[in-house]
Amino acid sequence: MPGRYGVPSDPDYEERLAEFEARIQRGEKIEPGDWMPEEYRRQLIRMISQHAHSEVVGMLPEGAWITRAPSLKRKMILIAKVQDEAGHGQYLYHAAETLGISREAMLEALLSGRAKYSSIFNYPTLTWADVGVIGWLVDGAAIKNQTMLAACSYGPYSRAMVRICAEETFHHKQGKEMVLLYAKGSPKQRQMVQDAINRWWWPALMMMGPHDKDSPNTEILVRWGIKTKTNDQVRQEFINEHAPEILDAGLSIPDPQLRYDERTGNWLHGPINWDEFWQVVGGSGPMNKERLEARRKAHAEGAWVREALAAYAARQLRATVAV
Amino acid sequence: MDTQWPRWEVFKQDTPQKPHQAVGSVHAADPLHALLTARNVFVRRPQAVSLWVVRAEEVYAWTKEEIAEGLPQARLEGSAEVYLVFRKSSHKRSMTFVDFVGEVRATSPEAALQQALERFTDAEGLAWWVVPASRVYKSDESPETLESWFAPAQDKTYKQQQHYATVGSHVSQHKRRVRHGSPDEERAHR
Repeated sequence: MPGRYGVPSDPDYEERLAEFEARIQRGEKIEPGDWMPEEYRRQLIRMISQHAHSEVVGMLPEGAWITRAPSLKRKMILIAKVQDEAGHGQYLYHAAETLGISREAMLEALLSGRAKYSSIFNYPTLTWADVGVIGWLVDGAAIKNQTMLAACSYGPYSRAMVRICAEETFHHKQGKEMVLLYAKGSPKQRQMVQDAINRWWWPALMMMGPHDKDSPNTEILVRWGIKTKTNDQVRQEFINEHAPEILDAGLSIPDPQLRYDERTGNWLHGPINWDEFWQVVGGSGPMNKERLEARRKAHAEGAWVREALAAYAARQLRATVAV
Repeated sequence: MDTQWPRWEVFKQDTPQKPHQAVGSVHAADPLHALLTARNVFVRRPQAVSLWVVRAEEVYAWTKEEIAEGLPQARLEGSAEVYLVFRKSSHKRSMTFVDFVGEVRATSPEAALQQALERFTDAEGLAWWVVPASRVYKSDESPETLESWFAPAQDKTYKQQQHYATVGSHVSQHKRRVRHGSPDEERAHR
């Protein structure tokens, strides 16, 4: 196995880096086994594992509503959606594993609270309308980010994202359908969905991360084709798509400064409360403690399943050997 | 307790005419568990007709770059057995890694790779995987299994984004439209 990961102190680093960057320029995917800078590998593990944790924790706010869905159709949709999130976690953990980190190590980082996941899942889901608004706005924001990442230079991450985007589009559309339906419903239904939009709008904008000027990793991530757009670009795309649709549905957006800019064709937003963002990222959001406890509890209470599967596998193996 | 089950590479076949392709991996305790998990993870939606799984450590993999640095020395020990050969032939594909290209008989994985390099020359090999055929576990080919494993993904149309295609208006209709003010004002204008 040749030296697969390079650091600047390697004698051939500059030459290899130039070839690596030329490959990215040509639009080639970097695959496991190919040479890559150690920093590229480190950034990818950081991003992909955070992303995987977000999918897994993301099952919690919605999973709580499966038993309370208002109809069988909505229940089936929600079950499929939550199952998708579990699958997305699997695709992403695998993509990270190709970079030489074990799934157990990533899981341990999540359960111990060392690992980060998307701050948006630390907000509570208070009504059924939240399920629709999460689908439309939160998954809508996620798709904007993920469509960009599907063009990522690292093959396994890009492959995972293409799959995820295809499935996430279902989440987005069913959420939009649900919200538009409630927007045309009784005054109480309209009020319920408006309340959900009021609570999720700002956290959705924060999902794309800090402004470009406050995002130290962005430059290198863009240069190496890990990201192909900056946080602010993705955020702008999200607002341009969703703001007019929300207003068109007769709903309002909780930003008094939101306005359409004729000159640029962009919807401009008011200041984002980054203090709140950093507090939630730092662990002091409304649901941080509960989310992590739920994950730990699920892991502990699932121990008997793992033990049973291991015992069954061992018995199968003995039977095979005996034959 | 160790929570890390063995890792299995998953190969999915979309239609009978297409080759099995590496789509990712699952962690599982035994082959059937691996196949079931692969079905849940990779075939929640169309389309598939067959799945193969193999323990990750049974996959012998080489990149073009590694091969360029010198072919691995073939181990001589062992009697000949069948190996499945997989090849990556594009740097730009989006959904899969290597494709199944055929079988060879060899006494070691290294010898299998050498044979593969000589035989499968219709496209450039950017990466090669060889796997002993005896270590590959395949989904059941009976019509009942095909029906119960793979048909539901096609029938559950509510999981498809196309099912919601006509929801609302297309984003392009909102470009160049100036809308400002509260929803109540909007309604008053109508």
